Amino acid sequence: MNTSHKRILTLKIVLFFVMAIFVVRLFYIQIIQHDNYVAQASQEQVKKLVVPAKRGEIYALSDGQPVKLVMNETVFTVFADPSEVTEPDAVAKAVKEIAGGSAVENLSEKIRETNRYQVLAKSVSRQQAQLLKKKNLKGVGFQEIVQRVYPEGKLAGQSLGFVNNEGRGQYGVEGYMDKQLAGKDGILQSVTDVRNVPLTIGENNVRQPAVDGTNIVLTIDRNIQSYTERALSRWARKIGATNGSIIVMDPQNGQVLSMANIPNYNPADYSNVPNASVYNNAVVSAPYEPGSVIKTFTVATGIDRGVINANSTYVNTDSIQVADRTIHNASRGQTGTITMQHALNWSLNTGMVTIGERLGNGSEINLNARKTIYDYLHNKFRLGEKTGIELAGEEQGKIISPDNVQGNAVRYSNMTFGQGMNPTMVQVAAGFSSIVNGGEYYKPTVIAGEIDKDGDFKPKEPPKPTHRTISKSASKQAKQMIHNARAAFYSRVDKPGYDIGGKTGTSETLINGRYTDNQTVGTYLGYGGDSIPRYVIMVQVSASGRYFGGNTEVLPIFTDISNWMIDYKKLQPKGESER
Amino acid sequence: MERRLRSNAQSNDNQSRARRHRPDYLILLCMGLLMMLGLVVMYAIGPQRAQVLNSAFGSDNYDSSYFFVKQLISLVMAITVFFIVYMTPFSLIRKHAKKLLIIAIFACILLTIGGFIGLGIVQCSLGACRWFDLGPLGSLQPAELLKLGLLLFVAVLLGSRYRTGDVDDRSMTLVPIGVLIIIAAVLVIFFQKDMGTGISILAIVATMLFVVGLDWKIGAMIIAAMLALGVMFILIAPHRLARIEAFVAGDQISTSDPETYHIAQAMIAIGSGGLFGLGIGDSVQATGYLPEAINDSVFAIMGETFGFVGLVIVISLFLTLLVRIIKVSDHLPDMTQRLVVAGVFGWMTAHVVLNIAAMTGVMPLTGITLPLLSFGGTSMVFVAAGLGLVFQLSQYTVSSNELATEGVGYENSRNRRRVRRTRNAYSGRTS
Repeated sequence: MNTSHKRILTLKIVLFFVMAIFVVRLFYIQIIQHDNYVAQASQEQVKKLVVPAKRGEIYALSDGQPVKLVMNETVFTVFADPSEVTEPDAVAKAVKEIAGGSAVENLSEKIRETNRYQVLAKSVSRQQAQLLKKKNLKGVGFQEIVQRVYPEGKLAGQSLGFVNNEGRGQYGVEGYMDKQLAGKDGILQSVTDVRNVPLTIGENNVRQPAVDGTNIVLTIDRNIQSYTERALSRWARKIGATNGSIIVMDPQNGQVLSMANIPNYNPADYSNVPNASVYNNAVVSAPYEPGSVIKTFTVATGIDRGVINANSTYVNTDSIQVADRTIHNASRGQTGTITMQHALNWSLNTGMVTIGERLGNGSEINLNARKTIYDYLHNKFRLGEKTGIELAGEEQGKIISPDNVQGNAVRYSNMTFGQGMNPTMVQVAAGFSSIVNGGEYYKPTVIAGEIDKDGDFKPKEPPKPTHRTISKSASKQAKQMIHNARAAFYSRVDKPGYDIGGKTGTSETLINGRYTDNQTVGTYLGYGGDSIPRYVIMVQVSASGRYFGGNTEVLPIFTDISNWMIDYKKLQPKGESER
Repeated sequence: MERRLRSNAQSNDNQSRARRHRPDYLILLCMGLLMMLGLVVMYAIGPQRAQVLNSAFGSDNYDSSYFFVKQLISLVMAITVFFIVYMTPFSLIRKHAKKLLIIAIFACILLTIGGFIGLGIVQCSLGACRWFDLGPLGSLQPAELLKLGLLLFVAVLLGSRYRTGDVDDRSMTLVPIGVLIIIAAVLVIFFQKDMGTGISILAIVATMLFVVGLDWKIGAMIIAAMLALGVMFILIAPHRLARIEAFVAGDQISTSDPETYHIAQAMIAIGSGGLFGLGIGDSVQATGYLPEAINDSVFAIMGETFGFVGLVIVISLFLTLLVRIIKVSDHLPDMTQRLVVAGVFGWMTAHVVLNIAAMTGVMPLTGITLPLLSFGGTSMVFVAAGLGLVFQLSQYTVSSNELATEGVGYENSRNRRRVRRTRNAYSGRTS
C-alpha cells in the first residue's frame, strides 16, 4: 500500500506538471501569438468573392412591343461523389426519372466510379433540380450554371452573336455591347465557410453590390426578321443560291428592321458550326461590288449637282471610250438619243459614264468629276466608311479616292455603275435611304432602347439625321426616277396604290483577278411606302458558279418582302395622285 | 511483514473494509459541468456543422439542432448508465469482469470478420471497421467495451496477484497481461486502425501496473518493449508516420500541407480565440476548416469560442476531476478497487492529455476523443460507466491515517472491530 500510495502521488505530480505545461502552452498560443493566429485565420477565412452581375437580356420589337430574343436561364449540373453515395441504384433511378434526357449514359456505372466527381446530368432545369433535391439522395450535389437561352431559336442569330464559355460576348450585339450587357460584378469581402459561402460572422465584411447589365431592345422587328429569313431561304432554295443577305431598314430614321443571311447558325449551339465565318453578319461584314444598284447613287449625284435630270438626253452607242478602255452596255439596242430615265430603266452603263463626264468637263471624268463622285459616294453616302452600327465585326469596305493612283478615270467610270468599289450592304442601304427620304442621312442603328429595372421599355432619343446628302428636290427627282425604273417593267407585281421603286444589280464576280460572266452576285435595292418611303430593302444572292440576274432572280424576292411589308405595316394606298 | 500484509488483504477479499459514506460529489459536479459545456458547444456549432454537411451534398439531411439533440440523447443515456453502474454492487461487477472481457473480445472478432465478409450491421469508413450499426438504437463501438472489460479484468487479476505477492511474477501476471494486450492491440490498432483506443488501453494497463507497485525494472523493460511496438505500429501505417512528421515540423506547419492541415487549423482556432474567445455561435473554424470540429477537435473549437479563460476553466475542471479520481484510488483499502479507479484515471488522463496535447501542437495527432465534451454516444456512455464505478467506490474510501495503519498491517483492535462489523453488515448483499 505504501508503494502504491507513493506511486499515486507521482501520478498526481506528473498530472499537475502536464496540465501546467498545457496552460503555459495555451497562454503562448492564445495571448502571445494571438495576433499571428488572427492574421492566419483571416487569411484563410476572409475571402473576396465576386458577385456576378446579371447579363442584360436582348429584346426585339414586335409591333413596337419588346419581345425577348436572348434571356438568361439557370440550369444545374447534377454530380455525385461516389464514395458518399449509399444507394447507387436509387440515385440512378431518381436521376433517370427526373432529369430524363439530360442524364448521362451508363448512370449506374458512373455512380460506382472511384473518381470523386461524377457528372450525372447536365442542363437540368431548376424544377427538376428541386425535385431531385427533395429526394435527399446522399452523395449527390448540384452546381448552378447561368446560360443564355434563345426563345426564338436561330432568329437574328448573326445580329445577336453569342456568349462564350468565359462569359464574354462574341460577334453581333453581344460582342459590340459586351460591356453594357455584362454590367459590373460586385465584390463581397466576407468571412466564409470552407466552401466559400459567406457567413454573417465578422465585422469587416465589405459589400459592393453588382450592377446588372443593361437589357437592350433592338430595332429588329421579330416579325420582319422572321419573314425575311423564311423568304430568303425559300427563294434561295428555289433559285439555287447558297449565299444571300437581306437588310430591311426604316429610311426615316436609319433603324434596321431585319438582317437575314444564309448560311446562318443557332447561337445556342454556337460551338457546333461547320465554319466560323457564319458568325459574321454578312450585311455589315462582307463588302462586295454591288453593281448597277449604285446607278441610283450616280443619278442622285447628277441631279443634285444639276448636271442632269430625268429628261436629260445623251446619245447612246452602247459603248463609251474612257481613256484606253471601252465600256459596253450589258443590254444592247437602246441606241440613239435617249433620256437618263431611259438609261436607268435599261441600266445602261454608258448613261452613267455620261453623268460622270458631265460632273467633269462634259467629255471626260476628270479629277474634278472624280472628286465630286468621291465626295458623294464616300463623304455623303458614306460608302467605304464604317457606319458605326452596334454590331461587332463591321467591315469598312473600300472606295478608292481620286488621290490614289488607282483612283483614275477608268476606275471612276466603273464606279458610276457600281464596279471597282466594295461597300457593305448596310452602307448602301443607309446611303440609299437618304436618296429616297428627302436627302437626310441617318446613321444605321440596331438599338431601339432599353428595358429598365421595372421592366419598362425606355426608347432611346429618336435618331436625328447626321447630315444632308442631296437636296430635297434632288431626292424627290431621284426617287421618282427609281420608281419609274421599277415601274417601267415590273409595276404589275406591286400592290397598286403604293410608291415602290428599285434598281437591279448583276455584278460579275472577280475570280483570280478577272471578272467572270458565268458567276454573278444578284442584287436588288429598293424602297416602298405610302406618301413617304417606309422601308428600304436590299437583297443579295450568290452561289459558286451560278448566274443570278438582279431582275430575274432577285427582284421577285424584293417584291415578295415588299408586298408583305405593306400588309404588315398596314400602309394605306394613296393612289397614283402622289406621283 | 510481507506475509502478514497478504493474509490481511486476503481476509478482506470481496469486501469493502470501509463503512459506506457519502460519495465524492465533486466528481459528479465536474462531470456534470463538463457535459453541460460540451452541450453548449454542440448547440453553438451544431448549425455550422449541419450546414457544412448539407452544402457538401446540396441537400438538407441535417437539421441545425441535429447535433445538439443527438448529444442531448447521448448525455441522457450516459447519465443513466452512470447511475446504473453506481448502483450495481462492485462485487457483482468484479464477478462478471471476465465474462465482460470475453464478450468484448468476441464482439471485436465478430466486427473484424463481419468487416471482411461485408456484414450489414458492420459500419466501415475509409477501410476501418469500428462500429456495429444497431439501426434506431445508434451504433456501438466494441473497442470501448473491450477497454472497460480489460480494465476490470486486469484490475481483478492484479488485485489477487497483489494479495498473493505475485505481481512481479512472469508466468502468473506478466505473460497473461501481455497476451491480453497483444490481442487487444491486434484487434483495435491493427484491424480497426484505431490508434487512439489502443493507446488508451495501454495507458489503462500501464497505470494499473504502476499503481499496483510493479518492480520498476520490469516496468522499464515493458516501457522499452512498448516503445518498440509503438514505433513498429507507426512505421507500418503511413498516415501515423505523416502525423509524426507533421509534429516534428513544429511551427512550420501550414494549412496548405494536407499532413499538417488538421493541426494547423486547430492552432488557428485556438490562437484566434485570444483571451475571451469569439463568443458562442461565432466560430468560423467550425464551418468546415477544422476537421472533426465536433469530435476530436472540440477542444480547439472551445478555444476559439471561449478563449484562454474558457480553456483554463476546462483544464481546471478536468484536473479537478482527475485529481479527485486518483484521490479515491489512493484512499481505497482494497487493491482491486484501487486498481479499477486507477485504471479509470489512466483511461481518462490518456484521453485528456493526448487530445489537448495534439490540439495545442505539443504532441502528434492520435485521433482520440476528449471525454465528456466530444460528440459521440459510445464514448460518452463508457466514460460515464467508468466514472460511475469511481463514484460508487468513492463511498468506501478511508482516511490516509487508517490506510497507513492498515497498509503496514498492524493489528489494530479498533480497526479490526470496525472491519468486522462492516463485513457482517454487507455479507448478506454480496454473497
